[in-house]
Amino acid sequence: MSRKILYIDPLDCTGCRNCEIACSYIKEGLMNPQKSRIRVVRIGATYDSPIVCRQCEIAPCAKSCPVEAIERKGRVWVVNSQKCIGCGICVQECPFGAIWLHPDNGTAIKCDQCGNCVKHCPPGKLRFVDPNDLAHETEVKYARKLMEIMEEKNVI
Amino acid sequence: MSFKYRAYAGKIIRVNLSHGTITKQPLDAKMAENFLGGSGFITKILWDEVGPQTDPLGPENRLIFAIGPLCGTGWPVSCRFEVGAKSPLTGIYGDSSCCGHWGPELKFAGYDAVVFEGKASKPVYLWVNDDTIKIMDAGALWGKTTGETEEIIRKDLGDHRIQVASCGPAGENLVRYASVISLRRAAARCGLGAVMGSKNLKAVAVRGTKDVKTEYPKEFYDFMNEIIEVYKKDFYILDRIKFGTPILVELMNEIARWPVKNFQTGVFPYAKEIGGERIRREYRIKDRGGFGCWATCEKPVRVKEPPFSGIYAKQPEYETLSALGARLWIRNLDALIYANELCDELGLDTISTGGTISWAMECYENGILTKKDTDGIELSWGNHEALLELIPKIAKREGFGAILAEGSFRAAQMMGRGSEKYLMTVKGMEIAAQDGRAQKSMGLAHAVASRGADHLKAFPLLDELGREEPIKARFGEKYLPEMAQPLNPKYKAFEVKDGEELCALCDSLSLCKSSGICLPLYTGQIYFEDLAKIMKLATGMKVTGEDMRRTGERIVNLQRAFNIREGLTRKDDRLPERFTKTPAPEGVAKGHVVELDKMLNEYYRLRGWDTETGLIPRKKLEELGIGYVADELEKMGKIPKVN
Repeated sequence: MSRKILYIDPLDCTGCRNCEIACSYIKEGLMNPQKSRIRVVRIGATYDSPIVCRQCEIAPCAKSCPVEAIERKGRVWVVNSQKCIGCGICVQECPFGAIWLHPDNGTAIKCDQCGNCVKHCPPGKLRFVDPNDLAHETEVKYARKLMEIMEEKNVI
Repeated sequence: MSFKYRAYAGKIIRVNLSHGTITKQPLDAKMAENFLGGSGFITKILWDEVGPQTDPLGPENRLIFAIGPLCGTGWPVSCRFEVGAKSPLTGIYGDSSCCGHWGPELKFAGYDAVVFEGKASKPVYLWVNDDTIKIMDAGALWGKTTGETEEIIRKDLGDHRIQVASCGPAGENLVRYASVISLRRAAARCGLGAVMGSKNLKAVAVRGTKDVKTEYPKEFYDFMNEIIEVYKKDFYILDRIKFGTPILVELMNEIARWPVKNFQTGVFPYAKEIGGERIRREYRIKDRGGFGCWATCEKPVRVKEPPFSGIYAKQPEYETLSALGARLWIRNLDALIYANELCDELGLDTISTGGTISWAMECYENGILTKKDTDGIELSWGNHEALLELIPKIAKREGFGAILAEGSFRAAQMMGRGSEKYLMTVKGMEIAAQDGRAQKSMGLAHAVASRGADHLKAFPLLDELGREEPIKARFGEKYLPEMAQPLNPKYKAFEVKDGEELCALCDSLSLCKSSGICLPLYTGQIYFEDLAKIMKLATGMKVTGEDMRRTGERIVNLQRAFNIREGLTRKDDRLPERFTKTPAPEGVAKGHVVELDKMLNEYYRLRGWDTETGLIPRKKLEELGIGYVADELEKMGKIPKVN
């Protein structure tokens, strides 16, 4: 089973936070962005992108957890809320800021890739993708660009 | 104690800027039942607290920021907040709404409204951080543009998630059509930015972390997804999402409904050059939306050619492309994008800015204004440089800009010389980009709207593109084909009345008309019954579609009563003679005028108002549960003799 990340190009993301809305309703049955497992960052005139767990291969959150509460379940990392002591080391260690402490009970919350946000994305561009496939997409995009330049210069 | 109804925060913030006091007031459940929120709250508070003696720019005027029950629930496109006050532009009821993320943030902080009164002794801004509310020094922010203000506040307070609504230099300088801006979106009409300026209030910053709960979260979420499926399937909706409002540019030009050269005609030969398709093809970077938005009207764009190259801006809306473009005969899209950006940064309503300048251009064309009056600016049609020069002059009230800053209606009064002849205003407000001669329902809507010449209070769309399905779904076959014909005045009073009630609910629930109402309008979805269902699922309030309509009617009538108390009667529900007497010169509407009197009579009759005076009989007010309004109006002799 290959690892997938939740991905959207910042140029496709509208910053509408419908992913936060879906996540909050599915996980909590209410609306509160502080309880969502996916959170959109909007900066400046054009940049929007959700922050969400990338399910790292060597996960700093799981590695640093003193009570081993972050467990691998198939392709995702899941917080065992029975074990979690709410110390917040995982929050501190995550290089992306993609794991948080629940404002009410203080234990860690993170994305488990349930996929409801994907269904609720207005442009429909939020998706699960294998990072290597993403690299392949970029390779092709870059190659096309080079080809255009070469054509323009009449090299080919 | 939590509030009786879910989805509401249950609290209102009261700020007296003269005394520097802040009070948290519990929301009255009756207020929620009778006026819902948003614009409904604004209407009620203004009726209760702002009388005919109140100077719109004086300390006793109220400035209200209000949100509705759906704001912050995540309902599709329910991110809007309303700003209201007695308007410095029209002197009557004033409100304006803005999308983005500010409204939901206020709900997350735990409030349904913020009401300001008084005047601060020095520039301040309000900082609402969940339960902690402070009046902060805004000395360093005074004079800054709206974008700068937002950035500085976020940086100073150290949280990029803070949402800010602010006025620009135009508001500080009391330009009568100054806007309130948040996240590059605008609550532009009615000059509410000037009311902020008059109170020395630069901004309201909000950050909230609380829950917003609905009564039936699962059913609410499911219904939300059901409506989203409608959005995803309708061709008109998808087109509108793809291009944003500028897609209307070519369409409205086709039906000759455009305000070209201050409404001299309805057709602009260069429409394609400033239309939605070109912007998407040559300028667009991406789409952006407010909280829970599916329509994404904000489209960041980039100008590539000199002299404006390198500017990251946003696509001007249809109204702006009309008011600053076709209305002034300007076809330079780069300049229009820059002008739109200038207006938003300085905090000006683009519609009234374009409306006022187009009036001045027509005066210039007819020799009433000369270069002596205009500080040497060549005010000829199509001169985009004049536009770019005038916008900052208006915002700063410099030279000729100081006259234009008063709005065209007051400027004409100050200037005289027959310039009144070219006024395209209703109740002192510049008419938005709909020529009523080409769409009769819009003519009537402009004449009767509570905030002055305005299309959004009734938003009569059923006949705009002549789609018959929604008319059939809502009212049955008997209104067809006449209601679907934009040039036919038949049934338009009925359409406008119905639309006004629906729009009053929209503005009160925090729904966006562009997608919450107007897009599903095309398919007949989202009507009173649907709104009642949404209300029940969200708040637990047991209401029927008929109850919702009555609430809409109550809000419309109370806004009318506010204006009646200010001295308005039927004689103020008028359109400029260009619409009622001069036939449209070209296009599909050629030869048409607005048959206003005929439609007005029918409209008053449907509303149950006195056809002679336009006043509201006691019986009507009592029927709507606002008999206290009749008592007050009666004392002033403003209840019609014959009931």
